[in-house]
Amino acid sequence: MKNQRFEFFVGLFMALGILCLAFLSIRIARNELFAANGYEVEAVFTNCNGLRNGSAIMIAGVEIGRVKEITLQDYEARVILKLQPDVALQKDAIASIRTKGLIGEKYIEITPGAADQIIPHGGTLHGTEPAMDLEGLISKFVQGNLSTNPAPNK
Amino acid sequence: MKQIATLAALLIAFACVVRADTPLAEVKTTTEKVLLLLKDSKLQGEEKKSERRQLVRAEMEKRFAWEESARACLGRHWIKRTPAEKAEFVKIFSEFLKDTYSDKVATYYGDLDKVDYQGEKIQADYASVKLVLKTKAKIDHPLEYRMEKTSNDWKVYDVVIEGVSMVKNYRDQFDAIIAKSSYDGLIKEIKAKQPNP
Repeated sequence: MKNQRFEFFVGLFMALGILCLAFLSIRIARNELFAANGYEVEAVFTNCNGLRNGSAIMIAGVEIGRVKEITLQDYEARVILKLQPDVALQKDAIASIRTKGLIGEKYIEITPGAADQIIPHGGTLHGTEPAMDLEGLISKFVQGNLSTNPAPNK
Repeated sequence: MKQIATLAALLIAFACVVRADTPLAEVKTTTEKVLLLLKDSKLQGEEKKSERRQLVRAEMEKRFAWEESARACLGRHWIKRTPAEKAEFVKIFSEFLKDTYSDKVATYYGDLDKVDYQGEKIQADYASVKLVLKTKAKIDHPLEYRMEKTSNDWKVYDVVIEGVSMVKNYRDQFDAIIAKSSYDGLIKEIKAKQPNP
């Protein structure tokens, strides 16, 4: 009898452990098992280097959503943003891909606009700024740039 | 006689429909016109600089949606302004943009070897036209015009150079200036930047 009780507690302990493990792995993978409500907006970037599913979307440093999906469309990156239902985005809001710190992870920063129209669920955010291509800019700088050359417009 | 009149009316109507060009065609027309102006032998030399600039400005003026651009650049602060302040801002800011951009266009296009039109993408009332400016020094500068459909044609409201948006750039700067001083301070600063008031 005593043995049975002991086994019951061991089983309970194991079950609890497995539950904790499941909870942790869902949290780490940022999987939305219990689909968080919110709405989706599409944005197309020419380059989304470093952005991943689950990357943060912020306004003024406050997280307002996460990247749901990144796919290739017409050789450009089509990113689906999942946003909190209480945050409205104007038609002329701009989404830029930024880096946390100097070499940190990428996130999307949104600067709100002033248009009257609000982007609905399934709508498109037209104003986008791609991830900064630092290597490309450096190579251009090394080769010389237009603005550093004297312009021959006499 | 009546048939001819109907035919003529139809032809005119058809011509009007054709006039509504695609965004790419509109950008191409303006770009080619500006390039011609810059290469015009009658407009060369230092003494013709202001005349040349005026002509480039006039071409640009037709192609831009100034109010849209000004509103987008001011961002959230636009909503707090009165209609009179909004009108004043559009005026001052578009003057400022015309000056800076006609200079920039003259610098960029003056060193140009070739313009590569990459194509257009239209989505309802929005379009983006991509080009690559190829300089004589063999450097490529990607450029993107973001356009919006107006009643009869497409107008540019944002220019993205090397992946940096003009509207976003000004929106951030104006935001910082207003946070540091005030809206009036911003107006003063833009007015001070104007090369020929």
